[in-house]
Amino acid sequence: MATQTVPANRPKQALTVDEKLQKIRELYADAPELGKAALKNGLAMLTQELAAAGLAETAGRIGARQGKVSELTVFLPFVKGGAKRLRGLLQLLEGNFKAADAVGTVHDMRFVFVDNDTKLLFATAYDGDFDPYIEDFASKIPNAMDLWLSNFEGYPGMHNPRAAADWIAKHQIAAEAWYVNSPNLTGAETRKLERVGKAVEELLDQIG
Amino acid sequence: MSPQTLTKPEQDQALEKKLQQFRDLFADAPELGKKALENSIATLRSQASDPPPPVESAGRVGARLGKISELTIIVPLAPGGAKRLRTFLRILGGNLSQGANKVGTLHTMRFVFFDNDTRLLFATAFDGDWDTYIDDFVAKIPDYLDIIDSAWDGWPGIRSPGAKDYLAKHQITAEGWYVAYPDLTVAEIQRNQRVAKAVDEFLDKIG
Repeated sequence: MATQTVPANRPKQALTVDEKLQKIRELYADAPELGKAALKNGLAMLTQELAAAGLAETAGRIGARQGKVSELTVFLPFVKGGAKRLRGLLQLLEGNFKAADAVGTVHDMRFVFVDNDTKLLFATAYDGDFDPYIEDFASKIPNAMDLWLSNFEGYPGMHNPRAAADWIAKHQIAAEAWYVNSPNLTGAETRKLERVGKAVEELLDQIG
Repeated sequence: MSPQTLTKPEQDQALEKKLQQFRDLFADAPELGKKALENSIATLRSQASDPPPPVESAGRVGARLGKISELTIIVPLAPGGAKRLRTFLRILGGNLSQGANKVGTLHTMRFVFFDNDTRLLFATAFDGDWDTYIDDFVAKIPDYLDIIDSAWDGWPGIRSPGAKDYLAKHQITAEGWYVAYPDLTVAEIQRNQRVAKAVDEFLDKIG
């Protein structure tokens, strides 16, 4: 309210696009030549990006979110023999992740073995907030979760959803940048639109 | 082997053999894992007759399911690179939508700093093959990409003939890759959104 005195703890005004650009220029003053040249040549794109940028959103306890879609990225330490077992499990499953279909809030997920099989990088895109997401797994597919997560150090088991969520959060690192092409669509909505698109196509075929 | 080439008893035998392989694999697992496997056997048995489409290669490197591929790159950061890139991304509010939309084949993309800011994970989900995808970046947002990648140790520049080799060298193919809607490209998802919107408007007019 304009007539009142501004409180001392009032948040700082957001920077303008020009102020942000100036900050970036200063930041790149000691960048390698490649970076400096790229900044100069990419200025138009960058200005467009800064003008469009919204606020960074979070997925609740941890992780970044864009619209309806969040990211979860964890590096999990294998127990002895865990890497071999998980690799064998993934091979035997032959890409069968019907359990993830059953949960319904997963867009995608990847399992990547890193650092000489000492750690797994697990990265997923999912709908909504961190805690409800983990609770969903705990209530819908606890066995499937225990099956693969039992290969990691300190995993407490999905029968204790709160402890399991704490354990995952402990190993999670929030992304500094997160992009989603269709942030307004949940996985279920994307699949529903697929059916709508098909139905319309069939309808038009019948008319034509 | 396609199911047609096996008789029912042969199929059952193959399934039992496979379940035994699961049990062998988990013989020395922690108790939690063994128990989870026993509890999962019924589900595994019921799903055996309906296998998912196979995960294929995204070309030079990476996994692909249906139309959607994964790219997972871990790079060492140059001295000063982590601080510069992190600050850059924070000024942008972690938002790279304009640039990424321009590529047009990108579903999701994340940048994650780890190991005390000595390494960066760059992971994306994209349409189609690896080579075409990288070419798209080169053609559409080369400078934007180099503003970011100039923080990477040893990065030769996106226009350099060595760029693809650098990326491929630092990429690790996922050993498990799942997508909830593997048959939809970015363009198709956007098209379906427009179709659904048009249908809604059409129905509104009739109603």
